[in-house]
Amino acid sequence: MQEWANQLCENRQFGSKMTDSKYFTTTKKGEIFELKAELNSDKKEKKKEAVKKVIASMTVGKDVSALFPDVVNCMQTDNLELKKLVYLYLMNYAKSQPDMAIMAVNTFVKDCEDLNPLIRALAVRTMGCIRVDKITEYLCEPLRKCLKDEDPYVRKTAAVCVAKLHDINAQLVEDQGFLDTLKDLISDSNPMVVANAVAALSEIAESHPNSNLLDLNPQTINKLLTALNECTEWGQIFILDCLANYSPRDDRESQSICERVTPRLSHANSAVVLSAVKVLMKFMEMLPKDLDYYGTLLKKLAPPLVTLLSAEPELQYVALRNINLIVQRRPEILKHEMKVFFVKYNDPIYVKLEKLDIMIRLASQANIAQVLAELKEYATEVDVDFVRKAVRAIGRCAIKVEQSAERCVSTLLDLIQTKVNYVVQEAIVVIKDIFRKYPNKYESVIATLCEHLESLDEPEARAAMIWIVGEYAERIDNADELLESFLEGFHDESTQVQLQLLTAIVKLFLKKPTETQELVQQVLSLATQDSDNPDLRDRGYIYWRLLSTDPVAAKEVVLAEKPLISEETDLIEPTLLEELICHIGTLASVYHKPPSAFVEGSRGVQHKRLTSSAGSGESVESPDTGSAAVSEAPTAVIPSQGDLLGDLLNLDLTPPTSTGPPPAAAPGMQMGAMDLLGGGLDSLMGDESEPLGGDIGGSPAMGAGFGAPPAAMPASFNAPISGGLDDLFDLGGGGMTMGTYIPPKAVWLPAMKAKGLEISGTFVRRSGVIQMEMTLNNKAMSVMSDFAIQFNRNSFGLAPAGPLQILTPISPNQSIEAALPLSTVGPVMKMEPLNNLQVAVKNNIDVFYFSCQYPISMLFLEDGKMERQVFLATWKDIPNENESQFQIKDCHLNSDAASNKLQGSNIFTIAKRTVEGQDMLYQSMKLTNGIWVLAELRVQAGNPNYTISLKCRAPEVSQCVFQNYETVLKN
Amino acid sequence: MISQLFILSSKGDNLIYKDFRGEAGSDVINVFYEKVMALPGDQPPVVMNHGDLHFVHVRQGGLYWVATTTVDSSPFSIIEFLNRLASLVKDYCGALTEKAVQMNFALIYELLDEVVDYGYVQSMSSDVLKNFIQTEAVSPRPFSLFQLSNVGLFGAETQQSKVAPSSAASRPIQSSREQGGKSEIFVDVIERMSVVIGSNGVLMKADVEGEIKVKCYMPNCSEMRIGLNEEFSIGKSQLRGYGAAVRVDEVSFHQAVKLDEFDSSRILRLSPSQGEQTVMQYQLSDVLPSAPPFRLFPTIERDSGGKLLMYLKLRCDLPPKSAAINLCASIPVPKGSVSMSLELSSPDQSAELKLQSRSIEWTIPRFPGGTQLSALFKVEVPGLSPSSLMEVGPMVLNFELPKLTVSGLQVRFLRLSPVQPGPAQRWVRYVTHSDSYILRI
Repeated sequence: MQEWANQLCENRQFGSKMTDSKYFTTTKKGEIFELKAELNSDKKEKKKEAVKKVIASMTVGKDVSALFPDVVNCMQTDNLELKKLVYLYLMNYAKSQPDMAIMAVNTFVKDCEDLNPLIRALAVRTMGCIRVDKITEYLCEPLRKCLKDEDPYVRKTAAVCVAKLHDINAQLVEDQGFLDTLKDLISDSNPMVVANAVAALSEIAESHPNSNLLDLNPQTINKLLTALNECTEWGQIFILDCLANYSPRDDRESQSICERVTPRLSHANSAVVLSAVKVLMKFMEMLPKDLDYYGTLLKKLAPPLVTLLSAEPELQYVALRNINLIVQRRPEILKHEMKVFFVKYNDPIYVKLEKLDIMIRLASQANIAQVLAELKEYATEVDVDFVRKAVRAIGRCAIKVEQSAERCVSTLLDLIQTKVNYVVQEAIVVIKDIFRKYPNKYESVIATLCEHLESLDEPEARAAMIWIVGEYAERIDNADELLESFLEGFHDESTQVQLQLLTAIVKLFLKKPTETQELVQQVLSLATQDSDNPDLRDRGYIYWRLLSTDPVAAKEVVLAEKPLISEETDLIEPTLLEELICHIGTLASVYHKPPSAFVEGSRGVQHKRLTSSAGSGESVESPDTGSAAVSEAPTAVIPSQGDLLGDLLNLDLTPPTSTGPPPAAAPGMQMGAMDLLGGGLDSLMGDESEPLGGDIGGSPAMGAGFGAPPAAMPASFNAPISGGLDDLFDLGGGGMTMGTYIPPKAVWLPAMKAKGLEISGTFVRRSGVIQMEMTLNNKAMSVMSDFAIQFNRNSFGLAPAGPLQILTPISPNQSIEAALPLSTVGPVMKMEPLNNLQVAVKNNIDVFYFSCQYPISMLFLEDGKMERQVFLATWKDIPNENESQFQIKDCHLNSDAASNKLQGSNIFTIAKRTVEGQDMLYQSMKLTNGIWVLAELRVQAGNPNYTISLKCRAPEVSQCVFQNYETVLKN
Repeated sequence: MISQLFILSSKGDNLIYKDFRGEAGSDVINVFYEKVMALPGDQPPVVMNHGDLHFVHVRQGGLYWVATTTVDSSPFSIIEFLNRLASLVKDYCGALTEKAVQMNFALIYELLDEVVDYGYVQSMSSDVLKNFIQTEAVSPRPFSLFQLSNVGLFGAETQQSKVAPSSAASRPIQSSREQGGKSEIFVDVIERMSVVIGSNGVLMKADVEGEIKVKCYMPNCSEMRIGLNEEFSIGKSQLRGYGAAVRVDEVSFHQAVKLDEFDSSRILRLSPSQGEQTVMQYQLSDVLPSAPPFRLFPTIERDSGGKLLMYLKLRCDLPPKSAAINLCASIPVPKGSVSMSLELSSPDQSAELKLQSRSIEWTIPRFPGGTQLSALFKVEVPGLSPSSLMEVGPMVLNFELPKLTVSGLQVRFLRLSPVQPGPAQRWVRYVTHSDSYILRI
């Protein structure tokens, strides 16, 4: 034995030269010959050794297929060890030698009838692994027998074999009725057989998404739960993963499943634990939060998750990635376990970084002191990457927990005192964010920051510092000197710094116009004439034009109040998070990407909740790592140079109802949800406007200074720029805005019921005013006069804003149009349906009552467009129970046209993403009484059925809103 | 589910390759090795992808254990599987080395065939597997109990016959039945502690992770009973007995452990499989039953000559009969440190300034309980500024505490049935390691 082991070593050395095939055919011929002789030896031991040698050669990649017949000859033996070796060889070479593989079939079939169950199982297992189409027809009969074998070991092997066969020839499996046999095995008495049957069925079901193969009903679930207690840990994983796909009918069933799965949480195998966590996290959604059991379950989830952190670093890392998701979804589970996420000095760096991320997510007022103390320690460690992230973490804490901001700032100042270069730079980057979050509070530290100006050599830190100087130019005496010093090496700076410097100097000029005129001219000319960068040129021109045409407007735009940054900027998008929660314990949870982004083909891709784009993977990263992707913006938190463009854009597009469609992404663009206007915009601008920038840059008269721009310039400049903006922000289709949808007039009060008065009418919202437009038709014989109108109390407090203006009496057979402006400050009472309105109309004859329903879009305000960040946070914040889903059938608009239409009714598209032909529109609307409704509209190209999910703190309105969608979209 | 599995040597040579599902070619082995080699230090190496093929790997015994998968399968199962496979191979081949794997490839292929079918893990319990496995293990070198040359984990200080050497438990499980090898059983209680002590001496974090491992070479042992401290309690509320209870927060058991006697008398009952298995794992957080083993009293200042002066007193609070061994303390020093002079309180200690890692390594071979050691380091740092003092510390300790568990967990008794003849077959060993012991300055 020693001998062939040595030979193996020798062969391995040859292995590296294997590309030289000549080498083998010449020298190794002798070896093959020798092996052939040994294989045909009479002695069993010798045969065995020979087969081993063959397999050893096979492992190192040598071609020993020439020995196929000789090896197959050894197959008929009662020595199990030898048989196994031969089978091993067969599995490897049958594919390349299909004709010869047939030679082995007889022995297989015979072995499937052997008295020894080990041999029967071995034969059926190996046959399944021989991926040769010809062999399948011989496989059917033995497989059928083995599926009903008396020995569970054979049955469980046969169950898996069905999946193998299905992969080679799906039709055959169906024709032969193996699927039914497999389904029967779910009720097998042996748990191992059940587990394998479940695994095989799950796999087959994935390639037939519509089949009802794994028909999960309470009975089968019960069987699975019983088998769960008895089978091996690996079987438990198959069963738990299968359970996770089941949707319980009600919360009681949910609870009973949870109760039976909970014991798995204390299993020693972390894969079992995580599969159990997945099932529980999913079914918990169905449990009412006030249930005692809900609280119990929450408590039970923490210890197993903590336990996972004592495993090997690899498992820890995978566990942390999962915990990161769980913490975002249900922070309450681990809120008391902060300490376990403190890093150990010997953790690998990737574990440290994950822990840090989770620490920030768990940070709250209660534990912030502890967290800060830890972070400060980390910031003095040796590992540069880790230190950087720790410093950023301090900044994120400041933004997240307001009470801690002051302490965070002083900690950061302490760190700046260490003068460690990268610490200082990171600290400045985060302090900038803190300024954004808490304006006019910590500006006293600016002086300290300015001392370190010289040592900054990283673009991000330089850009941050320049932003600070520009933003607070009026408080820094020598702001112009500081900025001027940067200007010297303008062309050597990175784009990020150049853009920031441009903006900062313009800000400075607007604040101190007298002393800085020269400086601003200098920077504008550097940016527009001497730069090749289209972003920079465009921004330069925009400023130039603004400053030259209307300095007051320029001030309003450039120095506009900035929106505050929100604390949870790095959250995973809610829908993606929900999908990822369904994939806990899988690769998706490690990549933080939906499986569709990395698994090819149909198998394995099940959109558990929602499809999502590969691009959204970017937004998943925390801003620190993510900022690499959004390299144009200083941080993903505040794309500050995007502000200005954002502002300009709003300027162009307001009022949104009249000017046009919302700034959703152009078709085909995929954007992370976080940075639509920030980094995304910059790159968009860059791509689209390159040629036009080139034209303008060539204009010779440019240097004249902004005071008197060349006469020809504004016109030529204006046109392409606005064209560019249109290109970017107009949606491809449609282009023109649709007006508000006005339902056709309906008869509200038939003449029969009102002594000859017929009222038909509709509701209209015009530039923010709701009107009830009515046609009053006198079908009686006498003149009608003295009209008055009153509303009953209603859900949204609609009331006439003035008297009904019908000045002339209506003579018989005459009809008259009347418009009644409505206000929404009347008395409120909930109506059924919600949009029901009861009206009383009086005339000289009598009082008549009728009720009508108004489209709820009448109540959608023009300012119902939510900030992206707010949208994300709100979506997350609104509990899941409040979400309702609807289908809109037979709608043939594409998503852009739909979005256009909806915008007419003040339903604003905030973002759009496209994944695999499915468009997702994120929309918001605001009702007159301040209720926000958030919507996610999914449009699949070629599929006339839309899916819409609505989230609202007052879920009662969902039904109405949905109806409104339907009517708007279909008209 | 697993698509392929391969074991590579540290140099990237292919030792074992098995394709379970025919989804990808064997050329991915090279792809994997290139990827692993090209990995920058801060990238998590756990999961890597190549097209739609995903690699999951662990390193054990200097070998790469790699599984590939094409679908969105569970990395937990795969990592767990790879770790188990490594220990299974170790059980069957006696050791986890390139040579052992190479020599036993036929056995490993046979194991793989039984353990995984079409990518689905079937069973990894050596009890079940012993019914199927035919191939005999080949040992790289004959096993000898008396080979005491590599003294490591256990029994480092006394090499008397009462203590089994650490290598005693590495041998193939199957050979015992034929070669008439001694039938023995080892019960190891291993704890790892991670502690953070703040600069003010306050215990900021203390966690203990422990496990009881049974390594069994006793083919005819049908049942064993392990008795733990009767005062052993689980969870924060539950208390048993009087006073000095041994308390842990979380316990998990191997699924073969029968717990019917556990609640009443803290006895674990199991039929041990051949080979190694972790019978019980437990954790203890935030509270230690006794004082943390080491305290540091540092004085850090800048002397008149601009040198960094570090006077460190380290106290060992273990019981006087115990001692820590192989203690190594590492203290980061400010950047720009050039050289160091030192005074140590006893001759067996040593210390060294490591410029590469910017730290002082202070080594203490043996540190008995109840004693105190001190060291004075004078570090030459050109341009030492007051803020550089912040860069000193924290001190990190590495040590082991033989024959001691910090949780206080003890094995009261170990009974085997049927009763085994002959002496000295049952070994119970305790050790505590420092996982991460940090003393902030």
